[in-house]
Order: sequence, then C-alpha cells, then structure tokens
Amino acid sequence: MAKEESPRVSRRSTRSATSTPTSNKITEGGTEEAVDLCSPSVSDLVYGDPISLDVLLSTFPGRKNQILDLIQLLGPLNSPTLPFFVYGGPSTGKTSVILQLFRHLNRPFVYSSFRTCYSLRILFESILNQLILHHRNAANGYSSAKRCDKPSDFVILLREALTGVIKSLKESVGKSKFSKSERPINGYMTYLIFDNLEVVREWGKASSLLPFLFNLYDILKIPEVGVIFISSTSPDMFYSNMSCVEPIPIYFPSYAENDLRQILLRNQANQKLYSSFLDVVLRPFCRITRRLDELCPIFATLYMQYCKPLSDPGAVPNEDMKRRLYSNLQPEISSALNEIFRVQSRSSPEAETSRKPEQIGGKRKLASSEKLNELDFHMCTSAKYLLISSFLASRNPATLDASLFDSTGGSDSRKRRRKSSDKVKAQQETAEEELLTKGPGSFPLERLLAIYQCLTSVAEGSPDEEAGPDDWIGIGGENNMLSSDVLLQISSLCNANILVKGGSCPLEGSTRYRCMVSEDLALKVARTLRFPLAKYIYRR
Amino acid sequence: MGAEDAAEKALNLLRSRLCNPTFIFRPLCDSPDSNYSKLKFIVSSSITEACNNSVLLLGPRGSGKTAVLELVIGDLLLEHPDMITVIRLNGLLHSDDNSAFKEIARQLCVEHQLLFSKMASFDDNSQFLLAMLRECGLAHKTITFVLDEFDLFTQGRQRLLYALLDAMQSISSQAVVIGVSCRLDADQLLEKRVKSRFSHRKLLFLPPSKEDLQRLVEHVLSLPMDSSLPHHYAAEFNAKLQSILVDNRFQEIIDSYWDSYPAIRHLAKFLFRAVSSLNLDLGHLSLDNFKTALPSIKRQPKMESLRDCSILELYLLVCMKRLEVKEQNSYSFSAVIKEYKTIHDSFQTSDYFGQNVCRRAFEHLLQCGLIGFTDGRAHNQGIEFRPVKLLISPSELTQGLKSYNSCPALLLKLCA
Repeated sequence: MAKEESPRVSRRSTRSATSTPTSNKITEGGTEEAVDLCSPSVSDLVYGDPISLDVLLSTFPGRKNQILDLIQLLGPLNSPTLPFFVYGGPSTGKTSVILQLFRHLNRPFVYSSFRTCYSLRILFESILNQLILHHRNAANGYSSAKRCDKPSDFVILLREALTGVIKSLKESVGKSKFSKSERPINGYMTYLIFDNLEVVREWGKASSLLPFLFNLYDILKIPEVGVIFISSTSPDMFYSNMSCVEPIPIYFPSYAENDLRQILLRNQANQKLYSSFLDVVLRPFCRITRRLDELCPIFATLYMQYCKPLSDPGAVPNEDMKRRLYSNLQPEISSALNEIFRVQSRSSPEAETSRKPEQIGGKRKLASSEKLNELDFHMCTSAKYLLISSFLASRNPATLDASLFDSTGGSDSRKRRRKSSDKVKAQQETAEEELLTKGPGSFPLERLLAIYQCLTSVAEGSPDEEAGPDDWIGIGGENNMLSSDVLLQISSLCNANILVKGGSCPLEGSTRYRCMVSEDLALKVARTLRFPLAKYIYRR
Repeated sequence: MGAEDAAEKALNLLRSRLCNPTFIFRPLCDSPDSNYSKLKFIVSSSITEACNNSVLLLGPRGSGKTAVLELVIGDLLLEHPDMITVIRLNGLLHSDDNSAFKEIARQLCVEHQLLFSKMASFDDNSQFLLAMLRECGLAHKTITFVLDEFDLFTQGRQRLLYALLDAMQSISSQAVVIGVSCRLDADQLLEKRVKSRFSHRKLLFLPPSKEDLQRLVEHVLSLPMDSSLPHHYAAEFNAKLQSILVDNRFQEIIDSYWDSYPAIRHLAKFLFRAVSSLNLDLGHLSLDNFKTALPSIKRQPKMESLRDCSILELYLLVCMKRLEVKEQNSYSFSAVIKEYKTIHDSFQTSDYFGQNVCRRAFEHLLQCGLIGFTDGRAHNQGIEFRPVKLLISPSELTQGLKSYNSCPALLLKLCA
C-alpha cells in the first residue's frame, strides 16, 4: 500500500511486499518497465518473475498448510476448478499469499479489490481493462476500454473478453515452445480474484451484487475460468444472500505467538537483540491483540526505546544487559499497553526533543502538566462554551437547570435531595442504568442556547473564577447577543460529530440534539477555559 | 515418470468432470420417470406438435435443475437441429423488464443473424419479440425461454412474464417458457393475470436415493477404460476405487456429509476437495483423501473466529454472556465495560486494560461477527451506546473457551 511508483505496481503490491527485501522490489519494478516498453500482451496478466516453492513457503512463516492446500485446490496445469472462498481475520496474509502463489505458479489472473473498486462501474471496468489489456493513460484520456455499469452488460463483455484472453493464451502455449522472446505463461486457466469481499456487505446494493458475484462462475459457464473470493469475514456472514452452492472454504487462522515472532524477526538487522526484545513484549501484547498490523507500529516505537541505552546497535546482548534493558523498558510497556491503538499525531523525534528538558529539570513539572491540559485540536472560545453547555444539557436533567443557573432555586433543590430514602436510591440506580444503555440525554436547541447564554454571561461577568454563583448570575446577559455565528458553530460541531442530531420529539416537533463528548474531554475543554465545570455536573 | 503423467491426466479428467454439472447428472437421467424424461417430453412435444408450453422446475439449490435442463436442450438440439432457439435469462441479471427485453432481443438477433440495436426502446424490443415469435411460429421453429432464478422475475410488475405467457395464448406462436427456481412456492408469487396464463406444470427435484447416489459417485470417480489413459493404470485405479466404495468407513463419511448437505452439487464439491488432494506419486485415490476432505469442507466459522480472539476479546465476550444470563434484554458497550470493571474489581485479574483498548477489541469482535448491533440504523450514535447482542450461543462460547489454547481458568469459571 505504501508503494506508489507506477499504478500497475501498486495495484499488485500488498502490505507484505513492503516488508520484503528491497532488492526484490527493484527487480519487480524493472520487469514491469520492460513490459511497459513493448506493446501490451497477455503476459501482463501474471505477477512478476516466478519464485520457487521454497521461497514462497519461507516468506510466509506459519502459512505452510494453507499454501499447500491452495496449490492442491488450484490443481495441475490447465485443470478446471470450482470457486473458492479464502477467509481469515485481517492481516493474516490472505491477499499476499494468494498473489505470491500466483507468482509462483506463473498463471494469469485478474485481481480486483472492493476497497479500491468502490462502485459497480469501477469494478466492472477495472476487470475488463485488465482483461482487454487496456491501460488508462494520458493518451486515451484515462478512460476505460468499455463502459459498463450493469451486471447484465458486464457478463456479456466479460464473456467476450475472457474467451479472447483464453484463446490467445492457448495460442501462446503452442507458440512458446518455438519462440522465447516472450515470457512464457503457464497454462490458459484464467483466475478472477475478488478481494475485500466483506466491504460489499456495507454497500446499499449488496443484496443484488453478492448473489451475482457468487453465481458468476455458474453464469459464465466457462470451464477455463477460476473464481477466488477473499474476505476477512467468515462465509456464514454471507449465507443470507449467497443464493448458490457455497464456494469451497479455505481458512487462514490468525498467527500463533511463535509465528508472530518469526514474522517480526524477519528483516531485523540485529536478530539477537530483537529476539530478546520480543521475549519481553510479545506475550503481554498478544493478550490484547494478535493482529500484525496493530502490533507492528507499537513494537517499532517500543524497540527504539529499548535500544536507546545501547551505544552500539549491533551489540549482541548478554543476560546482564538484557535485564538492564528490561528494567528500562518496563514502565514503558504498561503505558504502551493502554495506548496500543492510539494514533500518534506528532512525529516521534519532535516529541522526544520536547520531552528531554522536562526530564532534566524537576521544576518544569508545572509546565508539563499544563501541557497535558492543552487540547490537541484548535477550537474557538464560543465553540468551547457551546461544547460545555451541550455536555451539561446532555448530562443534567432538564428539571435541574433552574436550580443550577438560578440563585433562588439552588438551595431549594439541595434540601430536597438530602432526604434520600431507599426508594429514591433505587430510582437513581435505574436512572444510572438508563444512562448506560441509552447514552447521553437529548435536548432541544432552545435549552442549549439558554445554558450557553448563562455560561457565557458568567464568564464575561466575572474573570475571577473563584467567585460564588450568586454574584454573577444575570450580570452580563444583555450585551451578549445571540448571533448567527453561534448557530454556525453549532452546525460545525454537528459536522465534527460532537453534537448529534437526534430524531425530533413527537410532541414538540423540533429537532433534538445530543452531545457525544466523554466527561474527560469536557473537563479538559473546561480547564482550557478555566471554567469550573465540575460544579455544574449533577452527580446522582 | 509415465505413471505420474497418467496420474496427472487422471486428476485433470476427474476435476473437469466434477466442474461440469451436466456430466454429473447424466446417470440420473436414463430412467423413464426421471425429470429428464418428463422435461424432454414437454419440450419435444411442443417442437413436434407446434404448441405452446410452460413449466416450472423447482427444487433446492444444487439439486441439478439447470444441469438437467441443459442436458435436455443439448440432446434436443442434436435431434432437431435448426428447430430450436434457446433464449437464456437470469433473474440476477435481468430482473428489470427493460434489460430483460433488451437481452431477449439481443439473443434473438445473434441467433438469427440480425442486426441488434442497443438504442432500441422497450417498446421496440417488445414489438420485435412478438414479431419474432410469430415468424418463428410460421417457420415451425420453437423458441425456448429459460428463466433462471424465476422468483426474481416476479418482483416488479411482471411485465416480462405477462408478455411471454400472453404471447403464448395465440396459435401462431410456438414457444416454451421454462422457469427455474429454488423457491417451491414460486408459482404463488405470480400476479393473477400471469397465473391464469401459466400452465401450472411443475417438476419437483428431489434428492436421489442412496442407490442412485452410490451409482453417481462411481460414475464420476471411475476412469474410462477406452481413453488415452494407459489401460493397466485405469484398471488399477478403478480396482482401488471399488475397494474404497464398498468400505463401510467410506459410507459413513458420505452419509455424514449427505446428512448436512443433501444436494448433489454439494457432494460434487466434497468430491472435488477429496480428489484434489490425490497424491500424484501414489497415483490413485485413498480413503484418507476423503477423510481429510470432510473437516475442511464442513467448517465451523464461529468456532474458528473464537479461536482467533485474543484474551481481552474473550473477556468481553464472557462479560456479555454474563449480562445476557442476568436477563438484561438490552445492553451496550458501556454496560459491558462496567461488567468488565466489576469482574476486575472482584478478581483482580492481570488483564485489565483501558477503555480505548477495550473499545478496539470490541470493534474487532463486531468485525468478525461474533457480536452484532441489534438496531439496524442509528449510525449517528456512537458505538458505546448502541444496543448489542452476542451472535453465538452460550454453549458455543463455553465450548470455544475450552478448546482455546491458553484460556485463563478464571474465564472458564466466569462463563460456567
């Protein structure tokens, strides 16, 4: 996914391709260019230079059974095959294994992924383009070879294109014995590979597309075509709209700890050091997730931490050193465990330099805690107030607004609350349950604006936040006009998914909003404003 | 070298047989009261007696409706060349009337070497169809319309079905409409005006008897003696096959598979899997091929995804199971987290992680389909508050936990 040299190379690259040795990549690029120079031919349908089975097996540790299984099912040269369904969790190597396997077998195939082909038309046209050997470029205005957006048209065109390709493949099989100018292709079986099938379930048209795809093999009735589906969800998620005899399932289990170790150890410069690092970190992290795509980035940063005390990165660790490094890393692990999925917004070297002086000077502690208070994103003051007031409107019951924001009502309600019997407690518990199940409460726009006005008048009236509530209610209200800017802010908060428009109230008919912000974030925002939010939150 | 070559040839032959439904269903066609004979009688009567006919082929998926139809059409094309035109439509592709008429016109044009216009309107195409029906009727040529996935044609206003069946009321036309559907109540889906024009002939496809099944397996797997394969190799292969077929253990395997998938195409899939694991050095099928094919075809996806879960994800599943046992009819992620916290508080587990981490684990579970939201829509609400439910039964969960490699003992206790 990271490669962007030429469109065709990136199409056939997978996540594992970026981790394979670089020399490999260069040769790949070289052949692709060489092919580009000559006129398009059927040999474009195979993937790179063929590799041997041993190389294939060693590139994918822990995938031996699946690879051998697939080879058996694909069968010897030119033997027809039923469709199969390859499935397994994300980052278990489904796509890379299949693509590299075809490279090993050197058979022609057409690959299309529903991630990139996000609509019917793009999918159909990309398949046809590959089959007709049509490359979109500036000369043809980046247009496709055929225009087609209906399954019925697609089947006609696909049948035409496939028979053409198979015919030319059959001819080239006969020819290649005599001429060696072109790279030979093994056999005339052509395979259609559909990747990321699970994405289609989210499509609106899924109900009609999925049965069509699963039936494609039966509809085409061309024995020289194989169909392969790749999905990260198991076949039982598709049963409801499969509407055909299910394809043969092939399962890729998630990697066991040993396999993970082997995979992570690949391409590491200092094997011994990395293996001692894995001894420390792999087990605790495996309890959270065994997905490589999540483990890799976190291990990369942790490994940098791990190596930091070392002067020589190529050193072979002994027992003593391991222990020292471990004790060094220990505190990092526990914090990293809880941050495993957090996306880091800043690049790490910058963060490093800014953290260093803090560690040296103990006096800077205040500054660092202030830094914690800072928000990661920018928001204008009125938006912050709006956020806080919507948070309050969502959390507090509407009946309490008067007592919170009005000096006369406050003491009254507190008296009432003191007389709490068991019955009231039970009521509170059910209310709490409700909060858990139903989420934050909804409120009409008027209430939000009223609270907002109260809050802003408070803030403008008294810069000293320690002042009691009675002093500042109703002081600065008049010069704080509700401008259209505030309403604009509300709509932008809605767009940021901080406020959510709920269904309208059946009695009042106006739209109701709810605030999706967690308490931590609300408190954080309040702290940047120096606003005493905690006082206003109603605790049951 | 020669033996291996022969083995590969044999493997290719078997695989192409299993991928070819018409070959598989051939042995079921010879008896006089088979669906094949009935269907052939219907179609051939309309060819020879110049009458119109309509029939529905009904049966579960993979029971060979289309294959038998193809056999009949193939044989009739041989018997009466130039007398039949076959128009094939598929409900998955042509369920809207516009594209259906267009496709009919296209296929008719291809068949009769006429020029097909892509721009022709719906009206033009239907006029063309009627004209063609009349012309073909005058020339005593039969047009056979095959409507695959017949039930999907009944979704809209059924203009296509009406037009076809209505045209068949006149004497001048000579056509057969054959609907193929896996919905046994397909004829009940028809509108009144269509239903009254339909002949109500139905052919039901039932699973074959045990003897037929046995015959079929033998027919598919045994090698022909009079082919390019070496004679002694084919004889040896067939002898080995015979010894497997009469083996009781083989019968058990086939029976256990047939019990869960009683359709011939499913059986073909199973045989394909077994045949593809044929050892080329050995050169013939062995019982092991069938034994290993059985578990790889009969998958248990839920169990597999349970095995793929991490410990934290298992914790969340167990929490949800406990909530369900408590008869909370609706709960959300935040309730699950609360339960997770109480478990941690009472047992002091080592696996206690922050809400962010739990949330991601929760998303993994959603992705692999072990849990699901109970409300269909409500996309604007955050994940935390949407009601969820387990998509596996408690017994499955306990079984999965027991088979999990290094499942903490605490989880098993909590789940019990």
